[in-house]
Amino acid sequence: MSEHTEHTGDDHGHSGSAHGSGAHHELTDSLRLNKADLGLSTKAFAVGGIALGLAVVLGGGPFGKQFQHSYLTAYMWGFSIALGALWWVTLQHLVNARWSIVVRRLAELMAQGVVPMAILSLPLLVPVLTHNDTLFSWLDHEKLHHARSKEVYLNPSFFIARMAFYFVFFIGLAAFWLKKSREQEKGGGVELTKRLQSTSAPTMIVLALTITFCAIDFLMTLDPIWFSTIFGVYYFTTCVLTFHSTLALFAMWLQKKGHVTSAVTTEHYHDIGKMMFAFIAFWTYIGFSQFMLIWYANIPEETHWFKDRLEGSWLPASLILAATHFVIPFFGMMSREIKRNKTTLRFWAIWILVVCWFDMYWLVAPNLHKHGMAIGATDILSWIGVAGLLMGYVLLRAKDTTLIPTGDPRLGRSLSFQNI
Amino acid sequence: MDTRASSITNPYNGPLEGDNAFAQITHNVTRIMQAPRPPLAWYIAFAFALSLLGVFGLSLGFVVWEGIGAWGHVHPVAWGFPIVNFVFWVGIGHAGTLISAVLFLFRQNWRTAINRFAEAMTIFAVVCAAVFPGVHIGRPWLPYWMFPIPNQMQMWPQFRSPLEWDVFAVGTYATVSILFWYMGMIPDFATFRDRSTGTVRRFVYGLVAMGWRGSSRQWHRYERAYLLLAGLATPLVLSVHSVVSFDFATSQLPGWHTTIFPPYFVAGAIFGGFAMVVVLAVPAREFFGLKRIITIKHLELMAKVILATGMIVGYAYAMEMFVAWYSGAMYEQFAFLNRAFGNYAWAYWTMIFCNVVSPQVFWFKKMRTNVWVILIVGIIVNVGMWFERFVIICTSLTRDFLPANWGAFIPSPVDYATLAGSFGLFFTLFLLFCRYLPMVAMAEVKAFIPESHVHDH
Amino acid sequence: MSDSEQTSNSAAPLYGVLAEYDTPTALVKAARKVRDAGYRRWDTYTPFPIHGIEKDMGITMTKLPWFVLVMALVGMATGTLFQYWTNGIDYRWLISGKPFWSWPANIPIIFEMTILFSAFGALGGMLFLNNLPLPSHPLDLKERFRRASDDKFFLVVEASDSKFDDKETRDLLGGTAPVVLEDVLEDRITSSVVPRALMYSMVILGAASLVPFALFAQSRSAKSREGRLHVVWDMDFTPAYKAQEGNILFGDQRAMRAPPLGTIAQGHLEEDDHMFTGKVGDSYAIGLPSSITATEATMLQGKQQFGIYCAPCHGLGGEGNGMVNERASTLKQGWVPPSNLHQQYIKEQPAGQLFGTITNGIRNMPGYAAQIDPDERWAIVLYLRALQKSRAASVDELSDADRAQLK
Repeated sequence: MSEHTEHTGDDHGHSGSAHGSGAHHELTDSLRLNKADLGLSTKAFAVGGIALGLAVVLGGGPFGKQFQHSYLTAYMWGFSIALGALWWVTLQHLVNARWSIVVRRLAELMAQGVVPMAILSLPLLVPVLTHNDTLFSWLDHEKLHHARSKEVYLNPSFFIARMAFYFVFFIGLAAFWLKKSREQEKGGGVELTKRLQSTSAPTMIVLALTITFCAIDFLMTLDPIWFSTIFGVYYFTTCVLTFHSTLALFAMWLQKKGHVTSAVTTEHYHDIGKMMFAFIAFWTYIGFSQFMLIWYANIPEETHWFKDRLEGSWLPASLILAATHFVIPFFGMMSREIKRNKTTLRFWAIWILVVCWFDMYWLVAPNLHKHGMAIGATDILSWIGVAGLLMGYVLLRAKDTTLIPTGDPRLGRSLSFQNI
Repeated sequence: MDTRASSITNPYNGPLEGDNAFAQITHNVTRIMQAPRPPLAWYIAFAFALSLLGVFGLSLGFVVWEGIGAWGHVHPVAWGFPIVNFVFWVGIGHAGTLISAVLFLFRQNWRTAINRFAEAMTIFAVVCAAVFPGVHIGRPWLPYWMFPIPNQMQMWPQFRSPLEWDVFAVGTYATVSILFWYMGMIPDFATFRDRSTGTVRRFVYGLVAMGWRGSSRQWHRYERAYLLLAGLATPLVLSVHSVVSFDFATSQLPGWHTTIFPPYFVAGAIFGGFAMVVVLAVPAREFFGLKRIITIKHLELMAKVILATGMIVGYAYAMEMFVAWYSGAMYEQFAFLNRAFGNYAWAYWTMIFCNVVSPQVFWFKKMRTNVWVILIVGIIVNVGMWFERFVIICTSLTRDFLPANWGAFIPSPVDYATLAGSFGLFFTLFLLFCRYLPMVAMAEVKAFIPESHVHDH
Repeated sequence: MSDSEQTSNSAAPLYGVLAEYDTPTALVKAARKVRDAGYRRWDTYTPFPIHGIEKDMGITMTKLPWFVLVMALVGMATGTLFQYWTNGIDYRWLISGKPFWSWPANIPIIFEMTILFSAFGALGGMLFLNNLPLPSHPLDLKERFRRASDDKFFLVVEASDSKFDDKETRDLLGGTAPVVLEDVLEDRITSSVVPRALMYSMVILGAASLVPFALFAQSRSAKSREGRLHVVWDMDFTPAYKAQEGNILFGDQRAMRAPPLGTIAQGHLEEDDHMFTGKVGDSYAIGLPSSITATEATMLQGKQQFGIYCAPCHGLGGEGNGMVNERASTLKQGWVPPSNLHQQYIKEQPAGQLFGTITNGIRNMPGYAAQIDPDERWAIVLYLRALQKSRAASVDELSDADRAQLK
């Protein structure tokens, strides 16, 4: 009767595949962008800048009502990608995930997007400082029904102070993850990785709160009378969706350009697709809960926000949102094969990115267009503008690093993992 | 180790038979079923559980006889302990499904040591929960009116009511959990069948094993079904506690009507449920000799989940308080001030201590890996989650919009007896499960040990 | 080589060949060989699913997911249609103003039904596709096969496979280094007849289980002269008084109590005495109350109301010759004719007194307060004044146009 080892049920050395345990693949892929690829960055900056400039002109100037609303829509869409990336990197460290190591560097780079987003927030924050209520009607305290709490929370100084805190935290955290990830390559190894796991836990708590309040400050306060405790979670699901879609597209583009060709496999795309599918369902759950609870209790203080979105041609817009953000992608992405095929996954990634923009539009535009949906050139150009500038910056940062965190001790598992 | 003496009190202290890891796992689990009698600790626990079950039966009988005034129900607190207990028990059930289904989808293979056990806990918790809606209605001989059965009044239930959604949600949850649990046990019933000696045992286990022989072609479909059920159970578990939260959130009562209730309740359910899993796992692994399967690493991972879900619950508390303040709604603000500083402030601060403060010890590795700390924190969190429902339900009802309608809630002895008694039902069923059913998912554990690896050269 | 238990079965034909292995690796390697050799009727038996063995055995993906999808759609449709029919068509009841079909409120149950049906589909489909329950199998006769659910791995090639050959198949398997290589014979000893006792008890149980339903059906279709069963007397015969019951505790012997004196319904304070009683202080008011304006609309309203309520007795012209009067006079049952409203004393009554008469009645005329709203009563008063003036105006009070008509 010999001593027996404990059966932890851990997949120690067993990544669910028929491959040998711990055997590292020889990484022969190209791991750095070359000059030709960086050309896209320049193009993105150019297209983005021009589009944004045109949007300013068509939208009535930088503080014109149409531009401000279109810009906020595009801004929150772009921000969701960067915040989603930041959240995801934190999460991967927290749960000691192994499948995702190969794509983690891409997410770390996408998280750096919080830097341009901080700069791009200026057109939205300057009117706050100058008490210009073209976008944020709460700047006129008459609109707040003399609610003391709202006057305390919604005033320029507190608002800007909060924004400063959010951006300092986001930028700091994004820089931290990238820096530590690159330190792994210098031989930090297992110790460093363990410490990163411990750091990720408290930062996740702060991240949850900052993303929540960022969403509240930018989006929920557009209608200063309305409130919903689930709002932060609702925006968070958008962050997860846009991030995963962009991650898939980023990896596919890199592979098309000849990088990381064998490192990122069908299995990884399958997992990214699963998260996209799951969060389509999760978005539906959160969105439905919010709507149904407010509908059911029928309290005018809360229902007016939905009434604004169910009257005139906003009603078909809301129905289109439900159809395109839930019904179609849910049934479309259900099949296992669709998530494992790059062409179909690319289709759904683009679909989700578009539909998430439309969700932002649905959140913001009824504030301006009371009688119906009115998507115009300013909206599209602002969207292209933010997307271009964000893309340009991320690619620029990518030039300095390898495309895979080669120093992570768990890389082998990630390269060889197989799905259920 | 004096195996004879200790085998009187505990037949599972001996070494494991079997010349390979698979056989050892089989022996580790089947010897519980094969032993002529369970350990002394089981008898003591069972006696205690049975007496509490008796208390349950007596108090419920008394309530049916006397009317629900036997509880502390009084206007305006029309929902007292029974509904608190209902939400408490349904919540506990959720951890089992999370471990079975959600952790499976996330490929967390450490779940295999505890998933059977946790699923059993789910079923029994849902059974306890289901008793309360049936009994708390004024005429407890009419709960069948909640079901759409054709009747001579030619009436149908009101499907637009959250209370009716509860019927379907909890009913579906109980059914799907039983299906999932049963399906998971088929291969293990086959193992029990093949290892049983008595004819009756072999016949019964053989019957429920359905003739499973472990054919790989069958395993393939089985695994697909398992994956599909896990994929179905995940949104189901989210929906069930969300529907329970809708009981409150669809109302207009301050403190009840808030949009974050669905995910908040689900997180709270997982939080409380994991605490209960831990409370059960620590003694069970001790007394049934399962320490090699349910290891400290498993307990540590569960402690981390408790900490994480506790933080999510804390986030929800913070959002509620922030929006109550931000909204400027007088009733909402009062509701939260009342919770913290009113008549039931003691319940509120108990809840905060138990749910937010106590899991913080799990930041420290020493605490996460100490079996006693884990057990005690698990108990504390269970208490805290019960108090959370008490605070939400009872304190909000005692202070609603109109001061003329305010009241006090004083639980009656029958309330306490019913609450305690429900634990009797839970533990009785659970101890019977430990004795007669496969406590660990042997097939699943075996599938993830290093020996199960296929080595290609 | 056969087991001792099989001596009574030894004449049975060959079911297949069994190979036993100690490790998953050995089994998988053997499986690949068997697959590559082109066998179709064969299987491996393991205590747990071996990952990736589908590829090694050439097993294709099961159709189960489609089955589950179909069941999900059935569940969704059932949940939708059932709620729509029961709450929207068969028995509609308004609950807090929500529409009969309120999709936000109907969705939770639709969702649960979808999941429920899918779950049954998954388990039921799996059992069906797996041919379970499978009470007997030739492998059950092999004692060592019991360890298939424990720690050993088996590979069985059936003799019914087209490629099966006594020597070649055994050689192939032998080459994979199994621990044991044995024949498996068909099961000719286990009876396939259901034991009598089991059969009888199933039949009896089945019949017994139908009894409650039969009783239900009988009580639903039959009539009974007996009153219903009262199980809980407290609830069916409550001490609380019902609305029309008598109660000796009160002076008027009634259980129902009127609202206390001075109770006013919300919105019915009726502070304006002039408006609601026609009196200012103790005397009747002269003019209209301040909330009634003498406009053409008011006049027309008064004319309409007069025509409805007053004209049947007093006549359209107010002379007291309405249809009721005509009829009642012929009956000669002691009818007192209604007043002619053009009499001088009525013309001299203040407006408030006229209002009071309409409200409270006078002599045989009932009060019309219950039927006519106060503002409409004032409109009638206004019209009555106009009517009275119409019989008593002088030529000078006419307008020029009207005077021209007289000429």
